[in-house]
Amino acid sequence: MEVTKKYWKGIEELNQTPEFTKHRDNEFPYQNAVDQFLVDEQLAESSTGRRDFLKFLGFSVAAATLAACEAPVTKAVPYVNKPEDVTPGVATWYASTYYDGMSYASILVKTREARPIFIKGNKDFGFTKGGTNPQIIASVLGLYDSERLNGVRSKGVDTNISVDKADKAIITALKGAKEIVLLTPTVISPSLNAAISTMAAAYSVNGTSKVKVVQYDAISYGAIRKANELNFGASVIPSYDFSKAKTIVGVGADFLSTWLLGNEYAVQYGVNRQPGKGMSKHYQFESIMSITGSNADGRAQIKPSESANVLAYILKSIGGSTLVSSALSGEAKKVADAAIAALKSSKKESLVVCGSNNEAEQLLTNAINNQLNAYGTTIDLSNDVKLFQSNDTAANQLFDSIRSGKGPDVLINLGANPVYASANGDKLRKGLEGLKMYVSTARYADESSSVATFIVPDHHQLESWNDYMPKATHYAVAQPTIRPLGDTYASLESILVWAGAAVRNGKDSTVAYDAIKTTAATQGYADFSMLTHNSCGAVNSPVSSFVYKAVSSSATTKGGEWEVVFYQKTAIRDGGLASNPWLQELPDPISKVTWDNYITMNPVQMEKMGYATTFDQEHGLNLATVTVNGQKVTLPVYPQPGQAFNTFGIALGYGRGANGELIGRAAFQTKEYGGYELAENGNRKAIGVNVFPCLGDSKGLPSYSASATITKIEGEYLIAATQIHHTVMGRDSIVRETTLSTFMKGDREAFNPIHKLQRLNEHGHHEEAPLEEFDLWNAHPIEKVGHRWGMTIDLSSCIGCGSCLIACQSENNVPVVGKDEVRRGREMHWLRIDRYYASAEESSVGKKANEDDFNYSEAEKAAVNPAVVHMPLMCHHCNHAPCETVCPVAATTHSNEGLNQMAYNRCIGTRYCANNCPYKVRRFNWFNYPSYKKFTEVNPAQDDLGRMVLNPDVTVRTRGVMEKCSFCVQRIQSTKLTAKKEARPVKDGELATACSEACPTNAIIVGDWNDDSSAVKASSSDNRAYQALEEVGVKPNVWYKVKVRN
Amino acid sequence: MQKEAAIREPLILGNKTYHDVTEDVCRPIEGKAPKMWYILFSIALIIGLYGVGSILYLLGTGIGVWGLNKTIGWAWDITNFVWWVGIGHAGTLISAVLLLFRQKWRMAINRSAEAMTIFAVFMAGTFPLIHMGRLWVGYWVLPIPNHFGSLWVNFNSPLLWDVFAISTYLSVSLVFWYIGLIPDFATIRDRAKKPVAKRMYSILSFGWSGRAKHWNRFELVSLVLAGLATPLVFSVHSIVSFDFATSVIPGWHTTIFPPYFVAGAVFSGFAMVQTLLLVMRKAMNLEAYIHTKHVEYMNIVIMVTGSIVGTAYITELFISWYSGVEYEAYAFLNRATGPYWWAYWSMMTCNVISPQLMWIRKLRRSLLFTFFISIVVNIGMWFERYVIIVTSIHRDYIPAAWSMHYPSHIDIAVYVGTIGLFFVFFLLFARYFPVLALNEVKTILKGSGQSYKESPDYHKHH
Repeated sequence: MEVTKKYWKGIEELNQTPEFTKHRDNEFPYQNAVDQFLVDEQLAESSTGRRDFLKFLGFSVAAATLAACEAPVTKAVPYVNKPEDVTPGVATWYASTYYDGMSYASILVKTREARPIFIKGNKDFGFTKGGTNPQIIASVLGLYDSERLNGVRSKGVDTNISVDKADKAIITALKGAKEIVLLTPTVISPSLNAAISTMAAAYSVNGTSKVKVVQYDAISYGAIRKANELNFGASVIPSYDFSKAKTIVGVGADFLSTWLLGNEYAVQYGVNRQPGKGMSKHYQFESIMSITGSNADGRAQIKPSESANVLAYILKSIGGSTLVSSALSGEAKKVADAAIAALKSSKKESLVVCGSNNEAEQLLTNAINNQLNAYGTTIDLSNDVKLFQSNDTAANQLFDSIRSGKGPDVLINLGANPVYASANGDKLRKGLEGLKMYVSTARYADESSSVATFIVPDHHQLESWNDYMPKATHYAVAQPTIRPLGDTYASLESILVWAGAAVRNGKDSTVAYDAIKTTAATQGYADFSMLTHNSCGAVNSPVSSFVYKAVSSSATTKGGEWEVVFYQKTAIRDGGLASNPWLQELPDPISKVTWDNYITMNPVQMEKMGYATTFDQEHGLNLATVTVNGQKVTLPVYPQPGQAFNTFGIALGYGRGANGELIGRAAFQTKEYGGYELAENGNRKAIGVNVFPCLGDSKGLPSYSASATITKIEGEYLIAATQIHHTVMGRDSIVRETTLSTFMKGDREAFNPIHKLQRLNEHGHHEEAPLEEFDLWNAHPIEKVGHRWGMTIDLSSCIGCGSCLIACQSENNVPVVGKDEVRRGREMHWLRIDRYYASAEESSVGKKANEDDFNYSEAEKAAVNPAVVHMPLMCHHCNHAPCETVCPVAATTHSNEGLNQMAYNRCIGTRYCANNCPYKVRRFNWFNYPSYKKFTEVNPAQDDLGRMVLNPDVTVRTRGVMEKCSFCVQRIQSTKLTAKKEARPVKDGELATACSEACPTNAIIVGDWNDDSSAVKASSSDNRAYQALEEVGVKPNVWYKVKVRN
Repeated sequence: MQKEAAIREPLILGNKTYHDVTEDVCRPIEGKAPKMWYILFSIALIIGLYGVGSILYLLGTGIGVWGLNKTIGWAWDITNFVWWVGIGHAGTLISAVLLLFRQKWRMAINRSAEAMTIFAVFMAGTFPLIHMGRLWVGYWVLPIPNHFGSLWVNFNSPLLWDVFAISTYLSVSLVFWYIGLIPDFATIRDRAKKPVAKRMYSILSFGWSGRAKHWNRFELVSLVLAGLATPLVFSVHSIVSFDFATSVIPGWHTTIFPPYFVAGAVFSGFAMVQTLLLVMRKAMNLEAYIHTKHVEYMNIVIMVTGSIVGTAYITELFISWYSGVEYEAYAFLNRATGPYWWAYWSMMTCNVISPQLMWIRKLRRSLLFTFFISIVVNIGMWFERYVIIVTSIHRDYIPAAWSMHYPSHIDIAVYVGTIGLFFVFFLLFARYFPVLALNEVKTILKGSGQSYKESPDYHKHH
């Protein structure tokens, strides 16, 4: 059917009117829809349409966002002509020599992109045989101290003046002077001595020189020289050889750390301390607990005034005679008798050393060594030590004349600091200020030099040529490892310039170099490049025979009811490196205190006298005032187990810069939220208190002990210590200790029992099985596949010196956090050295005296004279690492070489890993150490110059991430790479971590545990090897070795 | 209608009608807030903002503003976390488990208990977030596809389990709570006169019309959610306890932890419910709905869970000695006699002794005493977590690393701040939400209402 119906919307559609058709064809009837948006006429006129505007807006926002994301431009300019020895990314090592007036060592300096960043001992050349100490390793940081002088400073003039102007003024003054005094720390440089002679010759009248040289050291060993002068006719300090001694007796001599050439002796000492047949015996008599005493087989606590009695007792017992009383208390007598028995059997293979600066006591020591025939075996008088030639009498005369305003016309000071290190420092400074011409070559405007007419600053050791003759038969050179950073001038050059014998030539000057080359040639080293390659060599010295002449003396130190010992701390020593934050933050090897000095006293006595004997982050120690030699010092009293009764010890070297001298950024106290703490006089507040002014006098020599009184005063002082619990609580799987006789029997169960657990066997009976059989987990697939890095630490060899800790800090860019943070228990050290005292409840450290009746609260207290064990602890790289399983984001994982790796970038900072670490070796970045204001003064990474010390191979960590020991993974990688390039396997001994390399006694061995012939494998298979906390089942890659006492 | 024995105490007191119930619940929402509300709200807000400020300072400066150190990586942060999660346990237990067990008395308290749960979980969730060293990369704990190559989360880590457990718990609780609120919102919507309020409540009520079909679905969904939520009651705190139980630290590595933590959580959750409701019933005139009988029931729960907790404490102590493990034994000896003995004995007194007093009928029916004990229990449960966390790690394996923990003022400010924030949320809830499940309460009015029970008609049917 045809559709006839028609539908329409309106009459217009039906009629198809023109209006309708027009509108029908037009889809958008309103042309001006845009106008409705742009009601504003001006907008309509704008050349930018709405859409364009939005496009622009979108683009700009995106562009601005992208621009904001871009990192700031940092300049990295490639070499146009590559220097021959510098390959970016590859370290260059220089053999050199370290000497700072206190320590001497042959060293190797690592430079990266021409920046020295790391120092280690040179094991191949030099008598120090690789032995260093924390100060030597940390000294690289001092190079980048921004408070080190840059350019000549003249008194009263704020701005620096040119060196030529200063030279002119100095030479004029020298020419017009009647008396010229050259005050120097002990000069062991033949070239500098030659230069001084040149100067003396240049300023002489009628053949007599106007120049007088006075050698002065802060620490005096004058008594040894004096005693040898009396006994042998030569004012010498002999060479000691601890490696030849079967019996060592130390009387107040901390010879493993701060006494004479401690770093050399530590190496020698380690040689004979291997448990076995030839193990040496070591007895120590001392008042304070020193590192050396902590390593002794027998240790007696004596008052300093009893030293003479101990020596006399020994002397009389081995057949000598003396007028000195040999009355001894019971405990000291017991140890002395044991020592005498050992001395009698080892005879000439014995060595007795005494740390006292008292002539009579040194005479007694000589008499004993002579009686034992030790001269010629363990003591070598002809190869004498040239260090510490301080002429205290002459120096005191000079200082007195300066104090009274009768000083010389010209005083040239080559870096000695008597204002700090002697009594009446203020008066001396005033006297120095009043001198007509006082020239200093100190590196800092320190206590003595800040008042100088001119300071013509010397280079840092790492910037300059130097030569040294530390012993009569040894000649060494130090070569620069970097062009001088600032406008500094070698002292050697300055002396020659002032003598009119040389002309300066800025940083390109070769004056010192030429002088040293000439000296080297006269010493028999015409081939200078070979000498610098090795850094040192032997020289001939006339061998003279010494004949012992007995000298009788009865004058000894007078004792008092209470006696004080002024000692040096491993880190700070005489205070010369007080501005080094690594050293300030190095926990004292015994007390574990950082950033302070204090009065040490035996806690048993302290308790009776009402002093607090425990402390923690919020509870400080009581303050007390010590009166000694007319001086008063107020310091906190630290409970030191092993301190002799009625004695206390105070460390020297603190209180530097008390008058606001510019001695370095980190040498002062800082506040909780950053900035320096200010003293009452408005200056930056010094760290600790200077006790040099308290030193007494013993026949013209400074005496390091005296009778004193102590009074407790009101107030508490917060202490920053890294360890506040001191005993191991009878736990036998942390440290293990045994005696040589037990060890020699060879029954491992007796001294190093294997941990066993009980289980049910198939018959339902209990049986014992070794720990490995209880594993719930599959073994990590690293056995016998590729490398497996492992480490052994011999507790018997470790002396606790702290070198490894500083080396680790230097290698791994470990931040410095300052006293306040250390106090809160947040030091960042990747490697720490735990120190345990035996308690009265333990027969030796970690061994319960009575298994069934063990009193835990008594076990928290150290014994009166406790045995001590040092235990270096770092990440154990467990194969069943508890930290790895708990990280929610897998930021810490296991490598197929057995390393526990930390991916900083992945870490979100839950700290669960640190909580779950049985060894508590993980360190959290609580703040942004490289930028937060609290650390500006202490952390070198916050200083443009200080930052240069950072190792470019190791990431600087940001806040909120966990960090820990990586086994120096950057070194592992580079060792592997070297081997790969040479198409060979990694050789055993090729890899050294910073800690293993720094150890003077080779206590730390690293290597590939999968390599059956490796040293670490052999060492870990030893009878003495055990794993700390083995029963936790974490399967560490670090083994310890039982400490053996002889 | 369900009938119950006449000798049972009525759950709704007084002569309440259905309309009365509606009026009682809606009155605070529709009327003006009392002065006291504004005072309390201001105080809570100020404390809360102080806490927020402290958190911002913490995020800007670093975790070092807390009193933690190299040995003690967790202290108040995780203590507060576990404490708040524990408190957040009662709500779901009441609404889910008691629903499945058909405990009618829960109807008076479930709404506010659930609200408390959600706010407590909010507070709890804050701590794992802010305790991270780098919060800005905290999203890495989520297993989301990423551009970091094959980087993935570590499914072995209990912290990751926590992420799932807490987020699941929060979302299920939130949904459960909201579903329950829908009919009540609809009631308020229907009564609302102001246009803004009407609009808001009509959005919130999700188009509820009260049809039989809606009620049917409502009941079904409630049941399904209750079924889902019940395992969560046990899983959340079990998983939180795994944070400790799976570690190697003596005092943490304990197999008893999951049941012990769950019991402790219910214990502290009910205590917090008591604290809040005892004040609320008075302030909002709800004495007829939440009365001595309810309090007594909850006190019985507190007594039972408190006894479980006490048994766990003593078991732990015994096992530490019986195991013969040096470190384990010392960890517990140290708890009881070491430097934190005061925390341990506070915990023991608050959590073991105080709930035992509830055996005495007079005491468990005393509202004042209940209020006091509820506070004591909450203090005790905070100490329990502090004792577990801090006293275990402050002296663990290596004595040289032993340390002490002292809170900084930021530690305290953040904790107190979360209490402030919690009350800000709770006060807002009390002001704008129906604090009683009014439509549910109506279902028991005739079965358990006092007026009905006492009316002669009630007995006729029997």
